[in-house]
Amino acid sequence: MTDTHHRSRLGWFAAGFLHAARLPMFVMALTFLGIGSLAREAGVSMGVALTGTLLIWAGPAQVIFLGAILGGVPLMAIALSVSLSSVRLLPMCVSLLPFLRGPKTSLPATLYTSHMIAVTGWAESISRLPAMAPEARLPWFMGLVHGLYLSASLATIAGYMLSANLPRELAAGLLFVTPIYFIAALVRNVREPIDWLALAFGLALSPVLKPLVGAGFDLLLVGLVGGTAAWAIQRGLKRRAARP
Amino acid sequence: MTFDQWSGGLWPYLAVIVFGFLPSEVWRTLSIFLARDIDEGSQLLEWVRAVSTALLAGVVANILLAPSGALASVPLAARLGAMGFGLAVYFGLRRSVIAAVVAGEAAIIVAAYTFS
Repeated sequence: MTDTHHRSRLGWFAAGFLHAARLPMFVMALTFLGIGSLAREAGVSMGVALTGTLLIWAGPAQVIFLGAILGGVPLMAIALSVSLSSVRLLPMCVSLLPFLRGPKTSLPATLYTSHMIAVTGWAESISRLPAMAPEARLPWFMGLVHGLYLSASLATIAGYMLSANLPRELAAGLLFVTPIYFIAALVRNVREPIDWLALAFGLALSPVLKPLVGAGFDLLLVGLVGGTAAWAIQRGLKRRAARP
Repeated sequence: MTFDQWSGGLWPYLAVIVFGFLPSEVWRTLSIFLARDIDEGSQLLEWVRAVSTALLAGVVANILLAPSGALASVPLAARLGAMGFGLAVYFGLRRSVIAAVVAGEAAIIVAAYTFS
């Protein structure tokens, strides 16, 4: 994002929305078609399915929620799995919020901003926001995430109504959208060695740590161990470079 | 207690709020207080960003190595190959994420047809 010319807040919102429309909205739509169809399978109403998308606003948590309803899992156990899955939102929100709030931002406004942060919005904005003018960041981000919100909501409804039985080959393609999109977005976001290191450690640690710790906690541990190692190595590299 | 016992009227909506929305949203709300004193360009922010990046890479590895549903019917080597192809196209076509997704999708669908 090397766009430095002046725009109004609405102009930045529109720019963010248009950025979402280039690819991320399609990725969201493909994911949430599946979620809409799962909701129907789980036997909830379309209104409940849409409420889930608008309120939970985290694809993996919604898949867990609906899948567990389908399996007749007790509600308290559902809440626990949903919460474990959404721990991923914590570091994502903490790393984005410093760019999205000013000293005078009210608590309700910050609550709304944090609600709109999910993984796709994070992946699209984490490497762009720091380069943007401070007054452009929040409206651009809001345009981006509302584009994603709109597309996910429409796709939830469409997936619920269509609920088609896809051929196995296309169903495999649909499930592959998430990993291929996120890996490409992570590679695009690389700015410094720390980003490559965190990416590589995350990929490599996942299969190592998953059998060691129970499902649910493994991702958190992969993030903490891989991210800390990447950060420590980058610090070491910078210190060595700074030494006379 | 299961979801079926919360059926009728507005009960299912309440169930979404209590057992879906709140358990998920608690992390976002907590983040507001944790992020309060973090400045742009600080080491702490850099560390949190690295944790997020590693975590998301872990999500990708999880889906690739232990996929669910129809993707599990495509052999591991083909899943990794399709990802490698997508990334090769990304670097070949001036770092286009769109090209990477289209190429990776084409590769996985061809692989799914081939290994059936």
